[in-house]
Amino acid sequence: MATNPKDSPPEGLIERSRTPQYKRVRRVAPEDSPETPAGKAPDPDLGHGMIPKERYTSTEFMQLEWDRMWTKVWLLGGLESDIPEPGDYICTEIGKESVLIVRQRDGGVRAFYNVCLHRGNRLRPEGVSSAESFKCQYHHWEYDLDGSFLRIPDLDTFPQGAPPCRGLVELPCDTWGSFVWFSLNPEVEPLREFLDPMPQHLDPYNFHKMALTRDITVEWACNWKASVDAFNESYHVQGIHPQLLYYLHDLDIQIDCYERHNRYLIPFGTVSPRVRKPPTIPDPIKVIMKGAGMDPADYDEPIENIRRDVQRWKRKHGASQGKDYSRLNDDQLTDDYHYLIFPNVTLNVHADDLMLFRQRPHPTDPNLMYYDVWTLELVPDGQERPRRPRHQQFKYGDKSIGLVLDQDAQNLPGVQAGMNSAAFKGLWIGSQELRIRHFHKVLDDYVYGPGGKPPGAA
Amino acid sequence: MDLGLRGKKAIVTGATKGIGRQIVELLAAEGCDVALCARSEDEIDEAVRSLKARGVNVVGGAVNVRDGEAYKAWLEKAVAELGGCDIFVPNVSAGGGMDSEKNWWKNFEVDVLHTVRGCETLMPHLEKSGHGSIVMISSTNAVETFYVPMAYNAMKAALITYSKQLSQFVGRKNVRVNTVCPGPIYFEGGAWEMIKSTNQKMYDATLKAMPNGRFGSPEEIARVVAFLASPAASIITGANVVADNGYTKRVQF
Repeated sequence: MATNPKDSPPEGLIERSRTPQYKRVRRVAPEDSPETPAGKAPDPDLGHGMIPKERYTSTEFMQLEWDRMWTKVWLLGGLESDIPEPGDYICTEIGKESVLIVRQRDGGVRAFYNVCLHRGNRLRPEGVSSAESFKCQYHHWEYDLDGSFLRIPDLDTFPQGAPPCRGLVELPCDTWGSFVWFSLNPEVEPLREFLDPMPQHLDPYNFHKMALTRDITVEWACNWKASVDAFNESYHVQGIHPQLLYYLHDLDIQIDCYERHNRYLIPFGTVSPRVRKPPTIPDPIKVIMKGAGMDPADYDEPIENIRRDVQRWKRKHGASQGKDYSRLNDDQLTDDYHYLIFPNVTLNVHADDLMLFRQRPHPTDPNLMYYDVWTLELVPDGQERPRRPRHQQFKYGDKSIGLVLDQDAQNLPGVQAGMNSAAFKGLWIGSQELRIRHFHKVLDDYVYGPGGKPPGAA
Repeated sequence: MDLGLRGKKAIVTGATKGIGRQIVELLAAEGCDVALCARSEDEIDEAVRSLKARGVNVVGGAVNVRDGEAYKAWLEKAVAELGGCDIFVPNVSAGGGMDSEKNWWKNFEVDVLHTVRGCETLMPHLEKSGHGSIVMISSTNAVETFYVPMAYNAMKAALITYSKQLSQFVGRKNVRVNTVCPGPIYFEGGAWEMIKSTNQKMYDATLKAMPNGRFGSPEEIARVVAFLASPAASIITGANVVADNGYTKRVQF
């Protein structure tokens, strides 16, 4: 392409920009992983093309995405532990839709559009609560927990009778991994088929033994995919999270792409080759050691041995701390096994906690989104589950959500604004960002049909 | 001014990086034969190679100064290989931290006891020198409140008292003993480089406390140490020299 010397990269650019050399991190052998596959999946050949920017900025694409993707896939609705008793329900929103997920008297879970069939009123506000029945506040049309009509006041004044159906419009609903899922697609494939191979990967973490300790929603001024992308690569660590270079290995990342979901494995408890070896154990790594019950002041080995020694320590002392790590491999005891469940669930999975992000589109504006953060922490055997935190919702900037996530959040409005510029044509993606490419390929499969590409794409 | 260091024999502990490294580099540049130790064999090999290029005799040893016997044995070996000892700079430190009581033991063993053991082991050789000189490395954390009450700060303070009283005890043998208190020192691979990334607030506040708006460098500390260690400083003993870019705020009478 660069035929004019004026268009060639400046002299010395390649030399100035090289990735640092590094020694590979020791990883668990695939055969030593009891359940979660540890082996590398073959990298898909997704080419090197530009990802067009219109998908982040245009309302036309937003509509296509809604019609062909959001209304076709399984979506994360909430935590099963939030609805243990009959009548407990989660009211959650996705795009312009609102959904009620209700624990049934028989112990099952069913989902319904949160819409009264009389005049369209929403039956319940967003949130987790409990009900005997669902009575519309407008004219008191009342629905049972299974969605069926319970009472329509003055039904005899409707010459046409009740609407010709059982009651609320029902949606596919199922549970996996302590989570409740729903779909806006009546024809959707079974949940497990859609999630495959995530259950095999994630069941060993025993999410049901973890308790929710944080539940927030932040309105971010960016497209939901800008947020998904932000967590789908580790290349940005050297850019916006300099402190994490003293915490994790941001270059020796194992990326695995599956049919529609993907993951990467980030070694924690080690220092990035981008920085010099520090004279003392970095504070962030001390936090890992203390979490395992180790005393950093009593540790006399070189820093590069810490990751291995934390793994050994947890293996040895986990049971006495009431933590069952028997289904996890050694790397899972320290590292971030980081998954994207298509389309919008990002999971930072660790032996002792799970930090989950659910990224939801704004109903009408491609430049806005809702960023849900659910933190779950392993409750050691014999200890009481902590009280569920209250859900908090606010706009970006109103409150801190912790240093690392603040750094991510601070960056995204600028990304979105820049994507709207005439100067920006699309995403220029490198191999450290393969998960981003894979995510957009899966999205294209939904939006343009299997193997399909956006109009004009190479 | 000739410092009179040519041909002197100097032993510096923890000298492959940072302040310690610059001390041996400067002493070697001034014509001292030097012995240095650190924990990592690879780092010692690299430092010895580099120092030998200065044309002086260099002795290196991989030793953990917490292991008293191994450390003392190495000091004796270093004296034998150098053919004496005129200068001793015990520089190793366990660094800061408030993780547990273990920090106190660690700072006691490394910062204090390694200094004491070194002084006691080397004293007969320093007495023979006629220009014997010890320079201990304390910290401005010893003389002013620094963030949190770490063992590091208190143990560094112990060195100032020990240094002064040792100077009185050995003065008649022509051995001088002084202390240097470096302020915050920035170097590649040092604590402040890490803090700049991991705790930007603390870094910025520390930088702001220095009137000339910059961190000190290991080279600057090395020059102070080299002077105190040299016969040119023959009148100075029992002193605590604060070398801190004005980081501390007290008036030192």
